[in-house]
Amino acid sequence: MTSPNETAVEVVDLAKDYGPITALDSVSFSIPRGSYHVLLGPSGGGKTTLLRLIGGFVRPTRGRVLLHGQDVSDAPPNKRPTSMVFQSYALFPHMSVERNVGYGLKLQKMAKEQIREAVDQMLGLVGLEGYNRRMPHELSGGQQQRVQLARSLVLESDILLLDEPLASLDAKLRKDMCIELKRIQEKIGITFIHVTHNQEEAMTIADRIAIIADGRLVEEGSPREVYERPVRRFTADFIGENNIIDGRVTGRNGDRFSIDTGFAEVDVVAVGHDIPTGTEVAISVRSELLQLLRESRAADGRVQTLPATYVEEVYLGLTTLHLVRLPNEIEITVRQISGDMAGSVFQPGQAVQVGWKTAEARLHTE
Amino acid sequence: MQDSYRNPWLYGAGWAYLLLVVAALLLPVFYIVYISFNEFGFGARIYTFTFDWYRLIGADTILVASLKWTLALAGAAMITAVPMGLLAAKFYKRTRRKVAFVFLMLSPLFVPADIMGSALLVYFKNLNGIFEGLGDILGVSWFDDWFGLGFITALIGQIIYTVPYAFVLILITMSRYRDQQTEAARGCGATGWQAFWQVEFPQIRVGVFSSLAFVAILSFNEATRTALLKGGFDTFSNVLVAQMLNIGMSGESYAMAGTMTMIAILVIGTILVVTLATAGRAGRKALPKAEPVATAS
Repeated sequence: MTSPNETAVEVVDLAKDYGPITALDSVSFSIPRGSYHVLLGPSGGGKTTLLRLIGGFVRPTRGRVLLHGQDVSDAPPNKRPTSMVFQSYALFPHMSVERNVGYGLKLQKMAKEQIREAVDQMLGLVGLEGYNRRMPHELSGGQQQRVQLARSLVLESDILLLDEPLASLDAKLRKDMCIELKRIQEKIGITFIHVTHNQEEAMTIADRIAIIADGRLVEEGSPREVYERPVRRFTADFIGENNIIDGRVTGRNGDRFSIDTGFAEVDVVAVGHDIPTGTEVAISVRSELLQLLRESRAADGRVQTLPATYVEEVYLGLTTLHLVRLPNEIEITVRQISGDMAGSVFQPGQAVQVGWKTAEARLHTE
Repeated sequence: MQDSYRNPWLYGAGWAYLLLVVAALLLPVFYIVYISFNEFGFGARIYTFTFDWYRLIGADTILVASLKWTLALAGAAMITAVPMGLLAAKFYKRTRRKVAFVFLMLSPLFVPADIMGSALLVYFKNLNGIFEGLGDILGVSWFDDWFGLGFITALIGQIIYTVPYAFVLILITMSRYRDQQTEAARGCGATGWQAFWQVEFPQIRVGVFSSLAFVAILSFNEATRTALLKGGFDTFSNVLVAQMLNIGMSGESYAMAGTMTMIAILVIGTILVVTLATAGRAGRKALPKAEPVATAS
């Protein structure tokens, strides 16, 4: 594998407008060579546009795309060291599996025998040995997607672009393919850039995740970073199951900020932040880090609590969701392993306390 | 969505109605074919089967000459109108103003044939005058008769008439084609032309070949515009019409009409069968259930 310090993809101030609509707005970031990079975000956020700009399928309105340091902003797809896997398979229906996979090699004028060998090897890699003579319509969705993957991988491009490659698959197959994609990427060591709106998929495969929304790069980091320590409010709202409570900074003691939520005051630790008193902020706490308490507990600095009213319990098998309503009518979610709390401990309408360890809440200024 | 409670007899009745209409429309055509095999021609009380009229086609120099001109026009119309229709269909998929584009493409069909023919006749005569005047000013004869009536003007008339049909036929097959396949081909290293020729064309060729056949048939079908724009030669339709109006159709004319009818039915029938077979293949979706996923090595 190549050194992760080498940059495979760098986009600089990249933007794409479609008439009056801005699909991508001044995005800049880089992707290290050999990493599995996921572009995650809600539908219509601009992540596919970003991927297509990297692949050369659309021309940027402004900005540059550099692949391995070379500016390819004006190069068409066939002049870039990339290949792409599409959401809707995009297999050539009049060609057999073998001809589909070998299509790019044929364009490279490779000898027939070499093409056959490369195709066999690649079909083996994606678990489709012996499918050479099948036609696309004789394959299941998952198999078609594997053929498409083989068709892209056989080209030995340095960068593989995957546009929602698993979106059309059923849940079980998606999970299998997720693991397999990661395995293949680790085996061949090239850069994968994978677009998805499914955060579980992103968490499973990504080395790094870039959150894209409203045409902008919201935040970037490892799966653990964006899940456990989201910087932006949007990320906290989008990733995982975070409860977000709005408030205003009323004081500061070192890295600890006092926040007035309108019905209670809580402390949040925010290292390195410089937030003036009076600033509107938001606190986020993941649902699995919240605890339901029967009675009010004296604040001791390590645990923060809010008064709430119990609404209902939703049993989900492994976990159980408890919905509680805060005094400002916002409903928040507490997720616990089923059985951790004796069933029906709380009754709808009952006054409860929601608590969390002070260090587990995040403070967001945007 | 299909209505499960519909009356199955109504479905059968619908097909019966369709077949009845088609039979009523085609009956006169088959009658011509029937007459073309009668030794005593049209109107005779006795019917004696013969191939003689078909054998005599070759001896009718007017008919053979008109057939040659018609074939030449049809061939020229095919190689110009079909690529134009294909380009228009390609552009249609890219343009955002699809309704306006279709209206413009089909607009020549809204103009009656005789009006279109007359308009083109006047237009070409004026153009001829302008170019000849330009030649006179420049003192050269090079511009003379550029738009004199003849094969080219008749061809232009036929192209204007056939391009909309070629466009529609190609568009129908093209609508099934997903542009992501072109992008996938480009991603595999194909140039724009390679992606079109190796990936898109094989999937739309039924439409292209149908257009070629249809344009050829339309050329045989076209009389009014060509009569006004052809200049000094006659096409098959012009000869048939003239014969009918002046002396009545000859036995050879019936045989020629019969030949054309049979060729047209054969061509259209072949296209229909190929189209249905292709549509059947393309319509088959991926297997509904995934087969067990093989363990990758």
